[in-house]
Amino acid sequence: MITTLLIIHALLAVALLGAITHQAVSVWLPARKPAGSFVGRFRSVAAPSYANAIIVLYVCTAVVGGVLIYPEFRVSVRPVLEQLGLWAPLGVFDLKEHFTVIGLASLPAYWNFWRPPLADQHARTRAMLTAMLAFIVWWNFLVGHVLNNIRGFGS
Amino acid sequence: MTVPRSFPVFAIVFAVAYTVAYVIAVWKNYPLFTYHPATNEFGWGIEKPKDGVPAMYWYGWIATSTIAASVAGLIASYLPQRLTQRLWSGWSWVVPLCAMLVFCYMLRNYFLR
Repeated sequence: MITTLLIIHALLAVALLGAITHQAVSVWLPARKPAGSFVGRFRSVAAPSYANAIIVLYVCTAVVGGVLIYPEFRVSVRPVLEQLGLWAPLGVFDLKEHFTVIGLASLPAYWNFWRPPLADQHARTRAMLTAMLAFIVWWNFLVGHVLNNIRGFGS
Repeated sequence: MTVPRSFPVFAIVFAVAYTVAYVIAVWKNYPLFTYHPATNEFGWGIEKPKDGVPAMYWYGWIATSTIAASVAGLIASYLPQRLTQRLWSGWSWVVPLCAMLVFCYMLRNYFLR
């Protein structure tokens, strides 16, 4: 069961990673001319259309990971990592849990500033909130992947 | 969907208050409740681990911060507009970003062993 949940968590995270990366790149590196290449098309997406999907995916990923999987991690995985003295992976995982909460707390503001019509005076806030969420999502994805590689569920 | 005119104020204050409350809740260990994952039990406030299995305070910290931030956000959204109209929207990312750095500092011992 926990393995199934972990796969669902990973799939949600992949979708979230794609959406937030698309949005962040289109905000920070917008395409100046009609896109022809893969990278150009990646940069020229309509950033506002991703906001609601990002919020839903972020919440779903956090609930599956934080509510359904995390207790099992605390009981079965974390004690083993502590016995092995793997402090750096434990530290980055603790950062993951705190960053996740900070991201959740920012979602109402993120939604508000991406709500059409987009106000020009909040463009910097929009861009920074998007960059911060993108960093959190990338951090969480990579840390989760590394931790699972160290001691995967069911091992 | 109709969004209240005060929602931007609520959203900014919520992000700031939540982040600050969460940092304090983790730093001083103020969970609203404790969860014991091995026995699936909850207890108010701080409870010690049972049967050698660690207790989880994370959900309690989240609950503490959610209550504090919701109250702060609601109070701010009822303030007169002349007081809130100059609220800088950038606080909604500056404070969370600072909190992330604070957590890096608080957890530095994991990386300095």
